[in-house]
Amino acid sequence: MSETATATHATGAVEELKKRPYVVVFVVLAVVTLVELSVYSLGLPHLETIIILVILATVKASLVVAYYMHLRYEPRWVALIPLAGLALVAVLVAALTATVAH
Amino acid sequence: MAHPESVGEGEEEHHGSPWPVIIAVGMGVAYVGIVSGSIPLLLAGVVIFAGGIGGWIHQDLQRPSSPFYGLAAAVESRLPRVSARKLGMWLMLATEIMFFSAIIGASWTLRLRTATVGLPTFQGPWATPNQILNVPLTGLNTFILICSSLTMVEALAAIERGDQTKLRLFLLATLLLGITFLSIQAFEYQHLFFGEGLTFTHAPAGSGVNPLYGPTFYAQTGVHGSHVTAGVLAMAYVTRKAFKGGFTKENHEAVELAGLYWHFVDVVWIFLFTIVYLI
Repeated sequence: MSETATATHATGAVEELKKRPYVVVFVVLAVVTLVELSVYSLGLPHLETIIILVILATVKASLVVAYYMHLRYEPRWVALIPLAGLALVAVLVAALTATVAH
Repeated sequence: MAHPESVGEGEEEHHGSPWPVIIAVGMGVAYVGIVSGSIPLLLAGVVIFAGGIGGWIHQDLQRPSSPFYGLAAAVESRLPRVSARKLGMWLMLATEIMFFSAIIGASWTLRLRTATVGLPTFQGPWATPNQILNVPLTGLNTFILICSSLTMVEALAAIERGDQTKLRLFLLATLLLGITFLSIQAFEYQHLFFGEGLTFTHAPAGSGVNPLYGPTFYAQTGVHGSHVTAGVLAMAYVTRKAFKGGFTKENHEAVELAGLYWHFVDVVWIFLFTIVYLI
């Protein structure tokens, strides 16, 4: 996570185009993937494993969206588009959870 | 060539392309074919669709890529503008988020329901990681997809600097990495389906695994694989255009848009790998 913090810090608005932390993000993605592979083989209780792995996947996905898909550098309002999709996903998850619990 | 003052003219030409309409007609005919169960209608639709795509690509390869702001360019606005094409790509990706959520959500619901309620015809637990699937091999494939995301974003960075050689090299690398991903997935499918006996209706004999495990596995990874295939085709087109010198430091929007789609498919895989293989 410290690499992520550094990467966020490194991208000031001024040097934006010159110094986008593409390689740093790549290294973080590769390391987190290795962590994921070791987490699943640890044999932790199922729920804990699920929680850790979903958090790690969310970290990876956020990095790709923010830096590789340039959402960090777009006008703020562009982020509303994927967020609208995610809002409907939240409704779906809530409905499915209700179905399963029923 | 694209001088700034000729951009408006180019936009007019883009506006006049008949090919998107032909593509839409093809999709409509194919859809009617699917709904009515008519194979000839479906095939006719696919042919019109493919012809439309081919015509559009042929037309597009003739001219350089440029951003397009449409009518919004004439309107005063406090919001910073975004190219209409980029906006369209993000809107499509929003629908893709919903599409993949539906597939993953349905699979996850089946998994939870059979574990708790236990429908009589679909007895048995879900397979544990590594029981049927080859997690290290797919871990390697995940790494390949991450590498392809890096080469893709480096290709965009290269053309933003006006570096044609690196643009071509990185696009070619992305294309090859995408093809490698698909090849490994094809090998995996072949091994699972014919070797292990994980089919659309049955789990491997004697494993005791729930028969719904196979179809949900193939549905989730197959839908993703088809998206990677579309991405590889898009990458082939962008790479060809790059080798024809179709992108400049100022005009290279197609590289960025193909990249957006490519990274999105990577994001989907990040979640699929976790949900299907590791949990």
